[in-house]
Amino acid sequence: MVGKKMIWLGVAILFSTLWVWGTAHAVSEIRIGQIGPTTGWATMFGTEGLNGVKLALAERDYKFKGIPIKLFTEDTKADVEVMRTKLDSFKTRDKVHFIIGPSLGHEGMAAVDWGARNPDVPILIGYSAPEDITMRKATPSVIRPGWTGPQVIFHFGKFCAKDLGYKKVIIVGQDYSYPWDQAAGFTRGFLENGGEKVERIWHPVDAVDFSSIMAKLTGMKKEYDAVLCNSGGAQVVAFFKQWYQFGLDKIYPQILGQANVPIVPMLTELADMALNVYSSLHYYDGNPSEANMKFRESYLKAYGKYPSVIAVQGYDAMRVAFKAMEAIDGKVDDPKAFITAVRQVKMRENESPRGPFYFDKFGNPIQNIYIKKVVKKDGKLMNIAVKTYKDVSQFGPYAAMPEKYMAQPATSREYPPGNKDDYFREIEKYFGKDYMAELKKNNGWKE
Amino acid sequence: MIKERFFLYRKTFLALIVAGIFISIPWVTSDFFVLMAIRVMYFGMLTMSLTFLAGELGVVSLMQASFFGIAGYFVAILQTRYGLPFPFPPLVGIAVSLIIAGLLGMLVIRVRGIYFLMLTLVLGQLVWALASQWSSVTEGDTGIMNVYAPVLFGISMEKSKTAFYYFQLFFFAGATWFLIALRRSPFGLMLRGIRESESRMRMLGYPVSLLRYAAFVFAALVAAIGGVFFVYFMGLINPSSVSLATNVETLLAAILGGINTLAGAVLGTGILKTLDVVLSGITKRYLLFMGIMFLFVILFAPKGIIGTVRNYGRSFLSPLMRWFGLGED
Repeated sequence: MVGKKMIWLGVAILFSTLWVWGTAHAVSEIRIGQIGPTTGWATMFGTEGLNGVKLALAERDYKFKGIPIKLFTEDTKADVEVMRTKLDSFKTRDKVHFIIGPSLGHEGMAAVDWGARNPDVPILIGYSAPEDITMRKATPSVIRPGWTGPQVIFHFGKFCAKDLGYKKVIIVGQDYSYPWDQAAGFTRGFLENGGEKVERIWHPVDAVDFSSIMAKLTGMKKEYDAVLCNSGGAQVVAFFKQWYQFGLDKIYPQILGQANVPIVPMLTELADMALNVYSSLHYYDGNPSEANMKFRESYLKAYGKYPSVIAVQGYDAMRVAFKAMEAIDGKVDDPKAFITAVRQVKMRENESPRGPFYFDKFGNPIQNIYIKKVVKKDGKLMNIAVKTYKDVSQFGPYAAMPEKYMAQPATSREYPPGNKDDYFREIEKYFGKDYMAELKKNNGWKE
Repeated sequence: MIKERFFLYRKTFLALIVAGIFISIPWVTSDFFVLMAIRVMYFGMLTMSLTFLAGELGVVSLMQASFFGIAGYFVAILQTRYGLPFPFPPLVGIAVSLIIAGLLGMLVIRVRGIYFLMLTLVLGQLVWALASQWSSVTEGDTGIMNVYAPVLFGISMEKSKTAFYYFQLFFFAGATWFLIALRRSPFGLMLRGIRESESRMRMLGYPVSLLRYAAFVFAALVAAIGGVFFVYFMGLINPSSVSLATNVETLLAAILGGINTLAGAVLGTGILKTLDVVLSGITKRYLLFMGIMFLFVILFAPKGIIGTVRNYGRSFLSPLMRWFGLGED
């Protein structure tokens, strides 16, 4: 008799321990996939993002509440076919709980398309900036703790028109979708706040000889006030060099830059040529906030150089994921709960090197946009903020009417028009007469 | 008696074994393997179109990915923008690809050797530039998305990878059979004649230009079929599918497997595409390893894996190969 009782007791103990064990360790290992271009021309965008993720993981010793975290990393080679295959490998081979990345524009677009077909694998997009990832193609499982191209440059257009007082600006840039987006965002901010004309000059993506463009720019000085360099990487270095060789620094006040022009890795390349360049972004390396100082120092210690905004975003993506995991007690095996938790994450002041941010309903952050200027501090070049626009959404000044904004055609090399009259005719079509009247009344945007 | 009959049908027997292996893949392997097999098949068709030209005409084309991509782009555009129902986008896509191959073919068949390589390179880059710059049609570098594989006999090819695998296997087998049949036909013989000595063939009264032209268009057809499956499986297409990198990778796959053979094309693609994914999961320096591998292939096995097996493996493999009737092909 006693034996039977003992058996029942034993079974009860076994079941209760199993139950407790089962709830305490919903998952025995958290598996994260990180993807980005770590070989090829875009290596910088992939490796810096990965470094950021690793730094955030190392801060917690690759553990979450005692559960070990395993990081899987893959290279996209900047090719979407490769990337899609590797996303599939993450899902079927590594069985990851969520994915961080990728970094480039076309990769991000392909990732959101993959995300729509695989809603059970949440994706936190890295540095990819196309608007449609979180606009026309937005899907619940894809959240971007990053930025959109136009989001960071809308207000730079306004700044150039209002604070710098320029009327006509030339934009010289690489001929592909990211610079098109930058030009579009700038054009909106510039023309709606008193600017008169934006002329765009496109050059092939890998061009390094700008002599014909420099000659053209010299001639155009009669009509135009400033030049905005809308390229990235080696093209920026070549552009700046030739700018000085052709003596354009003596006839134009300074070069304006698109968001990526004076980021940290570029500053070492450009050296003093970058002095006084104005640009805008959701992060600036000279931010004296405690979070940024700490981040910069620990990144320097780990990787031997200062981080750029790309690393910040990898770091932030992982930290957002940690916050979400805290909210759901580490149950990352429930993708729905994880997605909901990520979307509700609010990064407060001093929680991120970039400043506070939270997500809009499309999954893109509402964050500070800084107008930056390159200065020399203690012999080192860095960006400082000359103006801060708080809580800017991906729709910028059109935050109240996202549907109308999205009804417009996608940006292209000529859209929206750079001529004031054509431009206003175009936006009246989409935003209506009321919006036009308001613009006129406030003499530009309200804030 | 039985043995003799078996000997008689040995080629059918071999074909059955190969077919059996391909058909059983989704049953015996993992989802991941099926995924890789699908990739290898569509890229395999692209590589086969290159090796067909290389093997039969003795020319290396750097624009096969253009026909692959054009078909893909047309499927994507017709399906997403005009909502055409299933059989039409791929049919139109392949047809357009063939028409373009027909037009460009008139140009490229005029040149030979290194000039053929250069001309196809230029034309291929032209297609790439169009895909990247003509954004109102191709949506630029972002590419066209939301392409879904069709529903056939009530089975969604989009949801079931196994179904997609069989769907593609059918056409893959068809394309392979088509190329093999072409090689074995009098047409194939004439092509090889041209490869060996064009002037002699012309003197014998063969329509040399016409034959070269037809071979070029046939190769484009196979690439275009691959392109249709590519876009269906990926769900999107962007300029990288018609880029120089894709063309060069195709050429590398062909060199690795054996540039003169169809089996080499599939083998080379299989190795290249699998290593890509498997090695990169292990080390970040995987491109270095692949580079070293190519160096070895070029130095020690310039005829590719199939060619080397044929040369060096003849002693111990030849009884088997001869038995299957593959000895001296």
